[in-house]
Amino acid sequence: MMRVNGVEVEDTFAEAFRMWGCRVIITAKNQKWADTAAMEMTGFATSVIMCDCEAGIERQLSEDETPDGRPGTAVIVFAHSKKTLIEPLVRRIGQCVLTCPTTAVYNGIPEEEADAMLDIGRRLRFFGDGYQVKMRLGDGWLRRRRFWRIPVMEGEFLIEEMLGAKKGVGGGNFIIMGVDEDSTLEAAERAVEAIHRVPGVITPFPGGLCRSGSKVGSRYPFLRASTNTPFCPAIRHTYPESQVHEGVNSIIEVVINGLDEASVRRAMAEGIRAAVEVEGVKRISAVNFGGKLGKYQIYLRDCLGGEVG
Amino acid sequence: MMELRLKPKVSGLTIPLEAEVISPDVIAGKTLREVEELRVYHGNRAETLGEYFEVEGEVAPNPEEQLIVVDGDVPWVKYIGAGMTAGRVVVRGDAGMHLGSKMAGGEIVVEGSVGDWAGAEMAGGFIRIRGDAGDLLGAAYRGSPEGMRGGCIYVEGSAGYETGTGMRRGLIVIGGDAAPFTGAHMNGGVIFIFGRAAKRLGAQMRGNGSLIICLGEVEELLPTFVYDTTYTPTFMRIYLKTLSEKLGIKRAEEYIGRAFRRYRGDRAVGGDGEILIVERG
Repeated sequence: MMRVNGVEVEDTFAEAFRMWGCRVIITAKNQKWADTAAMEMTGFATSVIMCDCEAGIERQLSEDETPDGRPGTAVIVFAHSKKTLIEPLVRRIGQCVLTCPTTAVYNGIPEEEADAMLDIGRRLRFFGDGYQVKMRLGDGWLRRRRFWRIPVMEGEFLIEEMLGAKKGVGGGNFIIMGVDEDSTLEAAERAVEAIHRVPGVITPFPGGLCRSGSKVGSRYPFLRASTNTPFCPAIRHTYPESQVHEGVNSIIEVVINGLDEASVRRAMAEGIRAAVEVEGVKRISAVNFGGKLGKYQIYLRDCLGGEVG
Repeated sequence: MMELRLKPKVSGLTIPLEAEVISPDVIAGKTLREVEELRVYHGNRAETLGEYFEVEGEVAPNPEEQLIVVDGDVPWVKYIGAGMTAGRVVVRGDAGMHLGSKMAGGEIVVEGSVGDWAGAEMAGGFIRIRGDAGDLLGAAYRGSPEGMRGGCIYVEGSAGYETGTGMRRGLIVIGGDAAPFTGAHMNGGVIFIFGRAAKRLGAQMRGNGSLIICLGEVEELLPTFVYDTTYTPTFMRIYLKTLSEKLGIKRAEEYIGRAFRRYRGDRAVGGDGEILIVERG
């Protein structure tokens, strides 16, 4: 057991999984519309337990950071495989970004950094019903890039032909145990704020937080995941294997997906350090499945670099 | 890069010299003596490069590291950099016809003006002309179905007749005026004109993303181009930013966010290329 800022940090690990991630840059006339499209696109994408993907907003982008010089928002979408990543991207960009006024979509992972290039723009071009125009850039003198200009009622939708995807990590996590709901929520909010300063990660749950972490399976044969009974304070003395300590009355999980393991580790560390600053936080732990399911075991002590005190 | 200097020994030849050997691909890996003995043609006579140029400097082991500086006006030298694939050529003055024709890579900078057929049928690389260009810049040779197939040509001055004829891919930027028949028979590729665009613009242009962007006055548009709309296309920002950041054309940024009138054609041949003309005011 180690302590950070006087808060107990369990010697355990977050069990994370190999996932494929794709960063999408959405730009628009102003930040309001870029954010609107990004929020629509990342809706109902908290967990692949029931959703087609896990998605979240990475951060807002200034005009200097986007290909077309307009305000933007970076979104990262994760799925189990390269193949299962394509369909959610096509559907979500097609229904949530294409439809949103003034938006455009660009690749957020350069080809040299990507493990694969997905032909999302090429698939969406058919919406142009034959009137779409291919835009070529850099042939023979710069990095070759392709875009599709699709005529829409408002004007024209621009999307890059190929979006980069890479093998990332899903399910990095830690849980915050507090004396009451207010202090636990405040700690979790601060954690998410700190996490979002780390590039390449998202927190796919609502506001970055999951108050109903799950365990694998249930007593019902039709349900493959159910409430994380060992961490439910309300049944501390009812559930025989409860892991809720005395004095803990509320627990929130922070789930982190990242484009690489190092980013997830760093995000976990930043989040934990921010959380333990809040009075009322009693303990930090992490969710795992005994190391049987996930490829990655991210130990809290390693993330924090042995920081104790 | 390793610099090889070619200083003209003569000037004002009335019969041009054909010297496609002035190319990093040909010169790299040779000795200075071998470079002097490279074959050039003066009319129907085969002669050596050393008879027309003083050769000094260093020869690189491979084309990528070879810089060739032609130190003076050579409007009588044709085919400089023709077919080159890598390296850099700088002409400190004017250059003759067919400069960079069929080149596939590398860079040519001409500090003066160039003759006709510069960059004809080029497939890659970059040509910067600080003065004016003659006729048929980046064009298709007679009988050839396609002109420029890739790369970028930036003429800071004006360009002559039939610029980009038969163009298939790539980018031509004309900082000044464009003479008649610019973009004729285009079937792909992009031409920017900052100055005045003359008559017959895009004549018999096909489709395949053919695009002419006029940032200055347009003398007359063919009646076979159909007006579609006036709008502010997002994709224009990408091109204008590229011109500013990669070619150093800072005035391109003035057009970001401006509205354009969009014309489609040339309907005379069933084409669906585009001419975009910046909205005044």
